Amino acid sequence: MESWTRGSALTEIKVSETALELAIGEEITTEAKSLGRQTWERLLHHRLAVGSGVILILLSISFWVVPNFSPYLFDQVAAGPPRSAPSMSHPFGTDPIGRDLMVRTFTGGQYSIRIAALVAITTTLIGAVIGAISGFFGRWVDASLSWITNMVLVIPALVVLLVLALRYGSGPWAIAFIIAALSWPRIARIVRGLFLTFKEQDFVQAARAAGAKPARIMFRHILPNTFGPIMVETTLNVGAAIILESTLSFFSLGVRPPTPTLGNLMEAAKGAIDSRAYELLIPGAIVTLISLCVNFLGDGLRDALDPTTKRSR
Amino acid sequence: MLIYAVRRIIATIPLVLAATSIVFVLTSLGGDPVTAKLATCTTCDASAYQRLIDLYELDKPIYPQRYLSWLTDAVSGDLGVSLTQGERPVKDILIERGKNTFMIAIPAFLLIAAGAVAFGVYSAVRQYSISDYVITGASFIGISMPTFFFGLLLQFFVVYWLQKTGQKFFYTSGIHIDTFTEYIKSASLPIMTLILVSLAGESRFQRAATLEVINSDYIRTARAKGLPERTVIFKHALRNALIPLVTVWALDFAALLSGAVVTETIFAWPGLGRELISATFAQDLDLMMGVTVVAIFLTVSFNLIADLLYGVLDPRIRFD
Repeated sequence: MESWTRGSALTEIKVSETALELAIGEEITTEAKSLGRQTWERLLHHRLAVGSGVILILLSISFWVVPNFSPYLFDQVAAGPPRSAPSMSHPFGTDPIGRDLMVRTFTGGQYSIRIAALVAITTTLIGAVIGAISGFFGRWVDASLSWITNMVLVIPALVVLLVLALRYGSGPWAIAFIIAALSWPRIARIVRGLFLTFKEQDFVQAARAAGAKPARIMFRHILPNTFGPIMVETTLNVGAAIILESTLSFFSLGVRPPTPTLGNLMEAAKGAIDSRAYELLIPGAIVTLISLCVNFLGDGLRDALDPTTKRSR
Repeated sequence: MLIYAVRRIIATIPLVLAATSIVFVLTSLGGDPVTAKLATCTTCDASAYQRLIDLYELDKPIYPQRYLSWLTDAVSGDLGVSLTQGERPVKDILIERGKNTFMIAIPAFLLIAAGAVAFGVYSAVRQYSISDYVITGASFIGISMPTFFFGLLLQFFVVYWLQKTGQKFFYTSGIHIDTFTEYIKSASLPIMTLILVSLAGESRFQRAATLEVINSDYIRTARAKGLPERTVIFKHALRNALIPLVTVWALDFAALLSGAVVTETIFAWPGLGRELISATFAQDLDLMMGVTVVAIFLTVSFNLIADLLYGVLDPRIRFD
């Protein structure tokens, strides 16, 4: 009697499972996916982010490829008549000393991307290390590092940028490090907050109980958990850096010509908006486009990393 | 709360001292006023040189002696004199330029605050609708555009319109404040530029804050008991959704008041920001320090105001 009931119950379950399979029309499989894989798949469903990523990659490739195919060099004076409007031989026109603006714009993009990438990497490294140490060790270490972070936030950034750029700046590397020196507090605060929450969790207790040293706990156990938000911030920093570079250039404090950047091309064009507006509009539009794509990508990444997001946009 | 406020003020004193020290050392290292002055002066002799050295105590070490003597003067209300403006007291310059900055900063701030709430709440309530996408898209473009590019674009459109039709509605540079119409004509473009800088970011922020509140349980309760949507949004949701924005407002307001460097430079608006730039390039140490001190002071005090307001608006936050 008893065995019969059990048997029938099992059959019933079996039947219903088959019914379910039939209803969906496919076998039910649950494949274990890593968090990174899940994030990647969610990101791929985010059309705007994917599109932005593609545009960014294409733009970057063009910055490196196009100058090689141009018959002119970026610092070649009198490549054409001075101040000529866009034409077949000079699609973006020429500047007051006859340099071809197309090759200058693409080479400028190259330098702007280099600076931005360098800023993003440096900012992330400084910010993540300071934030991690601050959040992990707490107490007086945290108090003093937070104090330094706050101080950098309080000092008017542009003043320091201006003074430093006046004194040390002109090369792309110097500009990048000056921008990075003032951009790290944001990421430091975020990483600090993450470390504060993670260090109280069980897996950290377990690692500690197993005898792991602080450095190991920080870098092997906690840091991988903070990769997501750090990646989002790094992405957004690229956009911020491109804007800051062009702003410094606007005050003639950025990378000096003849080395072109998108910023100093705009600076060179700002006096001519009544006659040759395209000289300003082209690099300006490229800066805006890069920064827009970076922001969309960062936003998509944030959505993809957040498991509570119900719908991806 | 009073004890908290006092404690906070005391805690910010070392912060302000350290921040001004850093700026002082940096500006002093950036170059000395004597070289800058003598480069443009053909009739100066050794006595003029010596007078400048005495005035700025250039024969003493930058830190701490020169900083301390600047600090003691500053605490007693003497911010020094501007070398590039005929040794006019820095305090007078700050007051005059500050007024000009206020004239664009205050209207810009009011419009930003109102706009951010309107756009942010609207796009949150109509999440994933066409208007949400439009507002979100516009915000992203606003965030992505360099300020000076937007300013130059505005100038470009005015110039273009002038060339096309011969009409010029706005001045593209300078300050004209004799009549109200003149004021509108000259202040509109700078104000528009200032708005773009903050409105885009604040709208996004307000949208996120509103969404978080709208999806909370107490809003579901309010809807479940049959309240009209209008009451739910404006009486229940908005109150909580505005709290996080207060901090952003305070910081933005402080930044606007301490001078929008880029905007004022583009439109040749003689405010604090533009003064800072010209002082930096001219190595006018006291004037630079003056503007910087105003900026630091505003940032620190509005930060404190924001924190205190936070506690007033949100009773769950306790100061202890």
